[in-house]
Amino acid sequence: MLEFARFEARRRAKGTAALVGGVSLLAASFTGLFPSIERADVDMDAYVEAFPPALQEAFGIAALDTIEGFLAVELYQFVWLLLLGLYFAYSAAGLIASDVERDRMDLTLSLPVSRTRVLAEKFLSVCVPILALNAVVPLVVYASVVAIGQSIDPVDLLVVHLLSIPYLLACAAIGLVLSVLADRADLAKRAAIVVVFVLFLVESLAASTENLEWLGYVSPTHYYDPTAILVEGSYDLTGMGVLLVATLALVFASRHRFVRADVGA
Amino acid sequence: MGAIELEGLTKHYGAVVGIDDLTFSVEGGEIFGFLGPNGAGKTTAIRTLLGLLSPTSGTARVLGADVRDEGALVEARRRVGYLPADLGFDEGATGEQILDLHGRIKGDSRREALLARFDPPIERPIREYSTGNEQMLGIVQAFMHDPDLVIMDEPTSGLDPLKQERFHEFLAEESARGTTVFFSSHVLSEVRQVCDRVGILRDGRLAALEDVETLLSRGGKRVRIRVEGSLDPTDLALPGAFDAESVGDALAFTYAGEYDALLSRLAELDVIDVEIGEPPLEDVFMHYYGEEGETDDEGSTARRAEVADA
Repeated sequence: MLEFARFEARRRAKGTAALVGGVSLLAASFTGLFPSIERADVDMDAYVEAFPPALQEAFGIAALDTIEGFLAVELYQFVWLLLLGLYFAYSAAGLIASDVERDRMDLTLSLPVSRTRVLAEKFLSVCVPILALNAVVPLVVYASVVAIGQSIDPVDLLVVHLLSIPYLLACAAIGLVLSVLADRADLAKRAAIVVVFVLFLVESLAASTENLEWLGYVSPTHYYDPTAILVEGSYDLTGMGVLLVATLALVFASRHRFVRADVGA
Repeated sequence: MGAIELEGLTKHYGAVVGIDDLTFSVEGGEIFGFLGPNGAGKTTAIRTLLGLLSPTSGTARVLGADVRDEGALVEARRRVGYLPADLGFDEGATGEQILDLHGRIKGDSRREALLARFDPPIERPIREYSTGNEQMLGIVQAFMHDPDLVIMDEPTSGLDPLKQERFHEFLAEESARGTTVFFSSHVLSEVRQVCDRVGILRDGRLAALEDVETLLSRGGKRVRIRVEGSLDPTDLALPGAFDAESVGDALAFTYAGEYDALLSRLAELDVIDVEIGEPPLEDVFMHYYGEEGETDDEGSTARRAEVADA
């Protein structure tokens, strides 16, 4: 079992290593910036107030003068929620579509394997970089925080990473749906970026618009709030459940489509 | 039970006909050639047999498994090897990694023996492969689990003549071991060399299903005569002769009538030299495909009539 997942994961090993390395470096440099911002003696509260409410909401801007608030915005809201969300949606959008486009799927499906298995294993292969990032980067962040003479609650730090896993899986599942719908990989990938980005915007705007808060519920970003975890220490476990259920639902929807569709017709 | 049985297998892409009402079967152990020009529907038929496309109507059974039943087909595919027209191996992977992946899923008992015979550079990544090497890897992959049935789409395209020859020998050996081979081709000489039977596909429909010998005889003989004086092609006056043309001082034509009639007619002429031989295979092929893009002379009309009689 899991031959395809292992094959894909191994094939992406270099990419995964580069991603983990790059994000670790970014995390360490953001953390390294904090002392100079703290020293700058800017009135952070006034600075935060100056942002329009939508932007405050979009990037969870709060308590920028604490290491937790600073990391929540610079690293988790921006890199984790937005950039990695887009990246995993983009990456998953190629899983099926690029194999179909390059005729690779023909040979794969001539093997004694069901389409469900191929789809599931392909999706599982995306878990490898997601897990690797969340295993390595918290260690880097913790070490960097200690190195600049600050402290951060290690439990909050772990939870912010743990709860990002369902979030990133949900983004990848959005990509997977597009991967079985589009017949060209670049179309699927572009669509995945657009969808995830639009959902991010919708949630940010909806949250600060009266009577439209409900609209934010469709976005995965609604269910993962790094600022709340790091600054307030509040964990949205229901949100995590929603993301996991949504991921499963999207994977099943993809399967429903993929087992019936003509391959590359 | 045939290794492959098609029953009215039809696949339409919207309004476009891929294949239409194909019914025939491929018997266990035979080498079956699936012949037709590009666009005739060969690949559509093959991809429908493998379950990649679902039939619009009709069905087919591959080693007894209905192609519409994924579970049964997955089981049957353990005993099926497939060589697609476009291999599309993962470019970043090495040949070895690909064989490992396929081997873990379907078995690879004959891998080493096949690699000794077809020798793709398996330690190198696919992106460095020539078309020929990629095809060799495809062949190893298709046969390494010792399948009962091998389906191949234009297997010799991309192989140089020497390797084609070796591949044809290999197919004959495989067939002798009881493996059923089904392959598509648009090269007649190849089909003539290796196939037991041939199905000819035209515009998605089965135009003919023949033994190779019958296919060849259907084309008639190529006759070339030299006579005293000159003989105009229009003066040949021989029913069953067509495509008559002057070649230098000789007259050449294709003859599909009674031999007695040919000999009687020759006896009336003052023959200096006569040759009666196999027709070029392309001419045989034209029987099934000659109608389009050809000037509608008497010859082709006669030929069409013959095909209709057959």
